Amino acid sequence: MPRRKPKARLVGPTLPFLALLLALLAAVPCEAADTVSVDVGAIYASNEGTSIDPALGTIRGKLRSMFNYTSYRMLDRKRRSLSVGETGEFDLPGQRTMRATPLPSQGDKVRLSIQISEGPRMLLTTTLGLRRGGMVLVGGPSHQAGVLILIISAE
Amino acid sequence: MDCRVALGMIEAKADGLLPREAEGELAAHLAGCPACAAEDAAISATGPALRALAGIRAMEKRPALDAMWTRVRAGIEEGRAARRRPSWIARWAWIPVAAALAVLALLFYPAGTDRSPFHPSSFDVAVEDVESDVATVALVDKGEDLPRVIWIIEDAKT
Repeated sequence: MPRRKPKARLVGPTLPFLALLLALLAAVPCEAADTVSVDVGAIYASNEGTSIDPALGTIRGKLRSMFNYTSYRMLDRKRRSLSVGETGEFDLPGQRTMRATPLPSQGDKVRLSIQISEGPRMLLTTTLGLRRGGMVLVGGPSHQAGVLILIISAE
Repeated sequence: MDCRVALGMIEAKADGLLPREAEGELAAHLAGCPACAAEDAAISATGPALRALAGIRAMEKRPALDAMWTRVRAGIEEGRAARRRPSWIARWAWIPVAAALAVLALLFYPAGTDRSPFHPSSFDVAVEDVESDVATVALVDKGEDLPRVIWIIEDAKT
């Protein structure tokens, strides 16, 4: 009796699985063009040790060249999809909070209104204009034996 | 010694059952009895002849025995393989399990948390305005290939 080829045996049962996967992917809501995905990473920079978090990706070298700290550890990272005019709140280490609001913009630009507060104290109020996929750093608030550096990017 | 007794001892010797103390007695009889000596010689030659014949038969049958053993071994291996091979259901049971896990991961994955590395496409950022109620704020720009930094200086701490 001729045996079925291994490839044929593999393809048959795999097709329903792929179809299910595609259906699941199609079910995941796509980001609309008028929404902005705001990504905030909280980095603890200090001179305690010499480790650099691999999750920092390509900006590890840039952090080293820009600052004099020896250790960079990502404490938290959050991503929110926000519509224009919608304010998203991001909890930061040390009882701090960041509020981000996308503002009306044109083309592939994104405008963000950013407010960083520590309890009642307003540490920073700024308005940024970025390209989609762009990034800016906000640093300085003290944290433990070092400082906090926020990586803010928008897509 | 009686020749009948001697013949019994000759057969016992051929079978290796003759006691050592009787060997001398038999030898003495054989020396004086040509008929028993001839019988002893004939019976003694039969054993090696039978062994040689058995060897020849074994050599003749060897290919057939080898083939039969090969078939037996193949049968044993096939039986083992059949026991090891899981059924179709068992072989693909992981697919619905994997699909269920994927659905659960999609449903319960914390959307606000991301551990994928940062890979910014641009550091082109315009800072339209910047102010602080409680700290001094510095805008640091170290070149196009480095991100712009807004540095908050709280009470000269940092």
